[in-house]
Amino acid sequence: MAGRKPGLSTDGERFSIVVCFDGSEESHRALRYAVRIGSGTDADLTLLYVRPFDQGLRTSGLDLSVVRENILSWGLDLPGMRVLKEGRDALVELGWLDSEWEQEHAHAQVRGDPLGDNAIVYSSPSGRSVVLRLLVAQSVADGVLDECELGQYNLCIVGWPASGGASGVGYITHEIATRIAREHTGTVLVSRFLEESHGHLVCVSNHEGSILSARTDAEVAARCACPIYLLSVAPSQSKLYAAKRAIARARAAIRDAGLEVSGATTLVGDPVTTIIEEGKKYSVIVMSRFRRRTGWRQVFSNSIAFKVLARAKNSVMIVR
Amino acid sequence: MHPAVQERLERTLGRAGQERRAKTTRGLDAFLWEKRWFFIALLVGGLLMLLPPPEGLSHRGIIVLAMSVIAVILFVTEPVPLPTVAILIIIGQVLLLGIDSTTVAKSLMSDSVLFIMGSLMLAVAVVKQKLDKRIAYFIVRMTGTRTANICLGISLVSGLLSSVIGEHTVAAMMLPVAITLITLTSSDAKKVRGLAAVLLFSVCYGCSIAGIGTPSGGARNAIMVGYWKEFFYDPTNPETYKYLVDYMTWTLYCYPVFLVQIPIVTALLLYTFRPEYDNLSRAVVKLRSQVNSQGPMGQKDWTAIAVFLLTLICWILFSDKFGLGTIALGGAAAFLILGLVKWEDVNSGVNWGVVLLYAAAISLGIQMKDTGAALWVATSFLQTLAPLGFDSGTPLLAAVSLLTTGVTNTMSNGAAVAVLGPITLKLAVAANESPLVVGFVTAISSAFAYLTVIGTPASTIVYSSGYLKAKDFLVVGFRMAVASTLVLLLAASVYWPLAGL
Repeated sequence: MAGRKPGLSTDGERFSIVVCFDGSEESHRALRYAVRIGSGTDADLTLLYVRPFDQGLRTSGLDLSVVRENILSWGLDLPGMRVLKEGRDALVELGWLDSEWEQEHAHAQVRGDPLGDNAIVYSSPSGRSVVLRLLVAQSVADGVLDECELGQYNLCIVGWPASGGASGVGYITHEIATRIAREHTGTVLVSRFLEESHGHLVCVSNHEGSILSARTDAEVAARCACPIYLLSVAPSQSKLYAAKRAIARARAAIRDAGLEVSGATTLVGDPVTTIIEEGKKYSVIVMSRFRRRTGWRQVFSNSIAFKVLARAKNSVMIVR
Repeated sequence: MHPAVQERLERTLGRAGQERRAKTTRGLDAFLWEKRWFFIALLVGGLLMLLPPPEGLSHRGIIVLAMSVIAVILFVTEPVPLPTVAILIIIGQVLLLGIDSTTVAKSLMSDSVLFIMGSLMLAVAVVKQKLDKRIAYFIVRMTGTRTANICLGISLVSGLLSSVIGEHTVAAMMLPVAITLITLTSSDAKKVRGLAAVLLFSVCYGCSIAGIGTPSGGARNAIMVGYWKEFFYDPTNPETYKYLVDYMTWTLYCYPVFLVQIPIVTALLLYTFRPEYDNLSRAVVKLRSQVNSQGPMGQKDWTAIAVFLLTLICWILFSDKFGLGTIALGGAAAFLILGLVKWEDVNSGVNWGVVLLYAAAISLGIQMKDTGAALWVATSFLQTLAPLGFDSGTPLLAAVSLLTTGVTNTMSNGAAVAVLGPITLKLAVAANESPLVVGFVTAISSAFAYLTVIGTPASTIVYSSGYLKAKDFLVVGFRMAVASTLVLLLAASVYWPLAGL
């Protein structure tokens, strides 16, 4: 497979963001944040809606493609495309997209379903693009993971629904968002009541990967002019020195990238609760994670990153 | 399009992308996790088979029971494609019960299965005729522009149609009507949440409550008709001829149960969702102009209506002689012969795996009867009900209805009747109640799957519109289930005895 590795490194290539868009309030917030991060001439933005495959028994054997074809014959949009166009209209309101952009359609059959996968691509004269992507897959999470990994996006943004999880067709639930964060090989921002102007709190340790993550997040934060704050938590007083060293290393790595750190804190306490408590003041808590936990292994996972993801009250970005 | 975007689309669009991910990123642990319910089902079934059979149940009986438990777990959790469950049932009967494979193959095909097959082909054929705009025009002409009247009209027309042609057909035809009215009222879905819910549920519940009206209204009815014949009919005993339930007999007992519920549906929906607009005059005017642009009905339209009416007349007059299935297949053949529908459309519109699944479920149901497993479960259930005073009369019917309602909300109503039918019919025998009454209660209650999106075909179809949330079904579905159960019990205790059942 040609192309760059997933992650945040832009390395002079085009910066690509995929936003899981289900029409919910949180997915609108995620879209606004994506626009902010993507501001620049090199950014491609994809709005993704996944419709799960039909299960024929639920309709007593009548294939839902018959229903969808009937909907189209009335000149109506398919439900997923209707939601995506709502996202497109939001982009127009935000001034990201306008009528001068060229529009193209792409389509492919999936599993014999003639309505299958669809994409509407809008391209600006300056080279930016917006893609409305309606995908059919085994499940919503599978579809998002397929798109993220094959599309090799720099960043995947998924909304964390406000009240336990919406439950319409193609909606993102807590379970789906968690699975995407756990299983995606690239970087995921789980957007939760995402407020744009409070900066990124980057949690670092002495692990080499953590220092690299801090640097790559700094590059993303720089795109939206978001201030960067570093946090290192020592589980006990005896490990405070190591925590301070982690901060120093991360600060140096970010400075090497030509960027500045707005502040740094070293605290002693339980890492999960400390990060969650401290993180409340910021737009995004940034955690690094290098091992994917899939299948039954996730049951035994003891990752601080995922504990923070599950319990935090605001947005969490898992950098890989 | 920028080359980078083009390249990404080529990588991700369509089948190639999905196969690629399946090859590159899924490991054994992810596979085991995805299929966990399959392995749990096998484990539970295996343990049941190893247990010493309880008193009154043979070893073969416990094997069939274990197979049924496995099938139910797989129906509900869906870890494997559902036609796989059908294949496993067939293999299980041969390997675990030692039944000759030809015998198993014969048990798969019955008039009920032919009916399911034929009615699905008819469904695709009818939807393809594009008569939905005519129907929409008829509704708005009849009801005017008030929201409440339109909802009543949609429920009534959806109900009248789906009582004879199957709720999936009508829901597929009426869904664009409802969506058009919603989008013509406002393009912002959030501003018409209540209106969308009322219109879509009018289609959904209108279809659901009517599917029990006649035998051709749904697969579950044909399955119950088949079970009565299989379980109780003896050609040498005239006393058992009543178990050959014909079209008109079913309609006589069940149609009033549907009609009574129509105003209840509209009242409950309006009370629950409080639509934002009480008049849809703007949307109706636009809808009328859309429909008018179609011009008058052509010869093809009239031919399609004639073929369908002929099929309906044959069901009414000849179903006891030729079977519902043969006539349904005849109707489908007529649509194909007259060129009203293409075979390719029928082939892609029918999920043939589901036909196989129903066939296997019915076959397993017959094994439940033959091995005594159904009787054992029924007797055990009755013993549980006895201390509560629910072991006879109306309380027993209420218990059967509640059991069926519970099961049908977790799986398709046809599958629910296929699984529960043998048990409830044997329950009737054990409790000295009429198998006809208990059978009707089971079949009708299987339509009370109002609480979940997977309970009825109509629910799944309107849910696919994207306007509804699963929570909406719970909110209004509970009220509907209570109302429908009360209507059914009233019919069973008052109307059916008066009508001679």
